[in-house]
Amino acid sequence: MSAPGFNSSLVETLSMLMVITSLGAVEMRRLRMSAIAYLLQALILVALLLSFAALNPALYWWAAVALLTKAILTPWFLFHYMGGRDAREEKPLIGFGPSVVVAAALMIGFYRLTHSQFGLLVPTTALAQQEVLRTNLAVASTVFALGLYCVLTRRDAVKTVIGLCLLENGVHLSLVSLAPELPETALFGVATEVVVTVYLLLYVINGLRQEFGTTDTFKLQELQW
Amino acid sequence: MVMLAYGAVSQEVLSLQAPSPGLLTVSSAWPAAAFLVPFVAGAVVLLAWRGPRWFWQATSVLASAFTFVAGAWLTAVTVGGAVVTGWGNELRVDTLSALLVVVIGGVGFLACLYSLRYLQRAELLARVGIEVVQRRLRVFYSLLLWFLATMVWGCVTNNIIMLWVAVEATTLASGLLVAFYWDRRALEAGYKYLMLLTIGITFALFGCVLLYAQAAATGELAGGQALHISDVRQVAHLFPAGTALLTVALLVVGFGTKAGIAPFHPWLPDAHAEAPTPISVLLSGVMIKMAVYALARTASIFFPSWPQLTVFAVALGSFTMVLGIVVALTQDDLKRLLAYSSVSQIGYVVVGVGLGTYLGCYGGLFHLVNHAVAKGLLFMCAGAVVYATGARRMSDLGGLASKMPVTGVCFVVGALTIAGLPPLSGFMSKLTIYLALAQAGLWWAAAIAVLASLLTLAVLVRAASVVFWGAPRAVAATVEVREVPLVMWGPMVILAGVSLLLGLYPQVVFPLVDGAARVLALIGR
Repeated sequence: MSAPGFNSSLVETLSMLMVITSLGAVEMRRLRMSAIAYLLQALILVALLLSFAALNPALYWWAAVALLTKAILTPWFLFHYMGGRDAREEKPLIGFGPSVVVAAALMIGFYRLTHSQFGLLVPTTALAQQEVLRTNLAVASTVFALGLYCVLTRRDAVKTVIGLCLLENGVHLSLVSLAPELPETALFGVATEVVVTVYLLLYVINGLRQEFGTTDTFKLQELQW
Repeated sequence: MVMLAYGAVSQEVLSLQAPSPGLLTVSSAWPAAAFLVPFVAGAVVLLAWRGPRWFWQATSVLASAFTFVAGAWLTAVTVGGAVVTGWGNELRVDTLSALLVVVIGGVGFLACLYSLRYLQRAELLARVGIEVVQRRLRVFYSLLLWFLATMVWGCVTNNIIMLWVAVEATTLASGLLVAFYWDRRALEAGYKYLMLLTIGITFALFGCVLLYAQAAATGELAGGQALHISDVRQVAHLFPAGTALLTVALLVVGFGTKAGIAPFHPWLPDAHAEAPTPISVLLSGVMIKMAVYALARTASIFFPSWPQLTVFAVALGSFTMVLGIVVALTQDDLKRLLAYSSVSQIGYVVVGVGLGTYLGCYGGLFHLVNHAVAKGLLFMCAGAVVYATGARRMSDLGGLASKMPVTGVCFVVGALTIAGLPPLSGFMSKLTIYLALAQAGLWWAAAIAVLASLLTLAVLVRAASVVFWGAPRAVAATVEVREVPLVMWGPMVILAGVSLLLGLYPQVVFPLVDGAARVLALIGR
């Protein structure tokens, strides 16, 4: 990369940290620790966007939006929901060992895909052809898939919300490679809706906890077929 | 609100431009007013926490009526051959958009009227407590108006990303409405609704972003033009085939989840059944149609260049129509039965529109209108039964026809419309879809569609006969049952009348549906 101020080794380190914090958010049994892992990831996302801003100055604005919505508001809602409780999540369907294997397989798979089939995923613009943006798309896809994995395999409703947040962080990061010239208004609309979704979900989950006495989604069996 | 409406009229720009031969563009404030008025009215209701109940209700009725009037105005202009734009080219209303706006406005207004008494029934609200409901009424009407506003916004925007934002906003506006009763069932439905739809719609975001990115990469469109759906379709033939296929797949998963297309439908029966009936009317009547609109608007861009996609769409729609009605056969809960029937009927719309031919699009869009009217009607009838008896399970109901004759007749009209029997409107739209499938040589799909219609007839006639003409049972026998108030049966009679009118005189709606079908099937070719 020849752009002044762009540090590719920093971007690689931050990308690796994105995947590690994703795995942490999925695998931490204590919900508060999981939320902290998510907060760290959101801050790394902001740092990544700032790093990429050397290539595309519009990303400074993206970083500001991510800081407000993902690193401040969303964690605030999560911690506010948890209050003084230091709850552990309901036992998940798949444990730590298989999750690490899944994360590694996803990362390798997406890396190969974005480097061999890039033309299929994004149009062949000069910017999108750059190596670092291909790797970024692989990282974003891995975070997205880990979020989906979290939603599908975790029984705890709060954990599924954290999974949803990971999924949305993956989307946000992928836009750097897919649509770097997306207008700020569109990006702001997308980011705002994620925050509102998290707030509403936690509000409903609070009601579920009061009515069912648990946040175990396997016990939500009032409505069958 | 009235001032806003006045402003919308007075600010109308009368200049006519002609961006392409044969297509007039009218710049107007009406497209913006159509969704801003209910949005602002919703905010006013929310802020009027000390306001009397009648103020919240009157504001809601007036704002929803305004949306219908705006839809009617847009319909009149677009049927005349013009396209109405606003905020530059950010908002763009052609006949397809106008069709959706007028249907959303009409059903929304009637649902609003229906809710005036529905949410006053103390016995009905025992599951949550009448005091709690009275406290939440302000939020209910506020969210209802935002729900309407976001649906209309999605139909008038010309911006790909804002279309996605609007579709997701409909979920957020209606999430708490689904969980309104705040008991175990409603909360479970609300959680599933918010979670599943948000995950599903995220795939559509990828699809929309790819659409934008590909259009920008062609180099044919300047600046923000690549965000405009009307411009993107002009360059769609330049997209690489693999990317186009990936984009369509993402859009189908994303918007298809919202539309209730199988196998992405599991949220639908829970949400449509557990929401208060006026909201069920909107969810089943118009919200899933708005999602089909979003899918059709974006995916149909690729039909001219990749016609093989249509077989995939027909197969998906056929699977949806069969699965929905087969599961409906097993239902005892009246509202759940209607919800599964909605899954099945959305399959017909997808088959018609997905076919991509003019006749298919005409049949699909006509069925979209008919289903909005008839399913809104059926949910209102189911709500009337719940209002009068407090029961929803068919095994608890029976013999209501003599005590609720208007509701009984309206239910039969709605059931026969959905089943596609003459002389009701559903017959005309389904016949058009059968003919379109036969014309395309897809006889297997035509046979499936006829079979699903026969099953629909069996399911809904059985429900009508059990609830209204069956032997009086448990709840119905112990409760003193009376016909519902005028403000509830009035909207039902109007919708039943529309079903009959469109069946006897389908030419009434021909210019609008014809124009909308041309937008989907012909303009891009």
